[in-house]
Amino acid sequence: MKDFDTRPSASDPHRLEALQGQFAFRLTGQLSRASEALPHEISERLRFAREHALAVAQRHRHAVAPGSVAVLGLAGRSAALGGGPPSVWLRLASALPLLVLLIGLVLIQQHYDLQQIEAAAEIDSALLADDLPPAAYRDPGFAEYLRTADAP
Amino acid sequence: MASDKELSDFLKSVDKRAFKRTMYMVRDEDAALDIVQDSMIRLAEKYADRPAAELPLLFQRILSNATMDWFRRQKVRNAVLQNMSDFDTDAGEGDFDLLESLESADGMLGAESAADVVSRTQTLQLIEEQISALPTRQREAFLLRYWEELDVAETASVMGCTVGSVKTHCSRAVHALAKALRTKGFAS
Repeated sequence: MKDFDTRPSASDPHRLEALQGQFAFRLTGQLSRASEALPHEISERLRFAREHALAVAQRHRHAVAPGSVAVLGLAGRSAALGGGPPSVWLRLASALPLLVLLIGLVLIQQHYDLQQIEAAAEIDSALLADDLPPAAYRDPGFAEYLRTADAP
Repeated sequence: MASDKELSDFLKSVDKRAFKRTMYMVRDEDAALDIVQDSMIRLAEKYADRPAAELPLLFQRILSNATMDWFRRQKVRNAVLQNMSDFDTDAGEGDFDLLESLESADGMLGAESAADVVSRTQTLQLIEEQISALPTRQREAFLLRYWEELDVAETASVMGCTVGSVKTHCSRAVHALAKALRTKGFAS
């Protein structure tokens, strides 16, 4: 009598999947054992990477924490002052240096303009008070000016 | 939120596997170390405030993305992307009986003596070679599913594909590995 084939067939997908899993986990078990025996240099670099990542996480947490403390502190202070919208005063206080700067710039500009005008006036008066050179009478423009100036 | 100790323990538990897994992909020790370090830092920067239970899946996703980023940068740099084909060839597989191979897997992996270090080293080397030779997606699915021990849905989530694709990739990977090991004589 012919024996039945008791081996799972391709039509038994669960059995096949279980066998695949078993085989795969046995392979990866070997890989895990091998990965534990990495060269010292690589293990050290991985340790450095871990420590670096932990330092980054700690920095990140500390960077978040003081912000929230500051907000809490501000809220506490405004509560202690007991009135008025603190944000408006804070905004005004922070705008004050800007206002002073603008006023200063305007004053400096005015002073500079005045200096320019005074310098131009000095040059004009020096020119007018100076003796007229004879060559000026040969200049047609100056002759025209004299005619225009003589006319009523 | 994961504490410093939880984060440290988690990184310690995954760093070596992460390095090996990345090595199978990029085949460059320095690049693999850089990718693992970048992934750890990204995890620490962005997800250190997440519960410890979420870290494994997040880390695997970050590591996969970092590896893909490395390949993209390499592609731009060299205009060559190696071994990224998802297409498998079935040539020569017709006469291979997967069930027979899997059932004799005890002989393939468990039969060598614990004392026989040389044999074990050779076996391991062969396994690593065959895993490296798998197509990228198959290798990723296989390692995430059976080494990182993610379930099928988590593996699909990390790989950005469907559950069905993960099953197919895993099945093909196991099939290819079993066949390769049997061909190399690692059978009872």
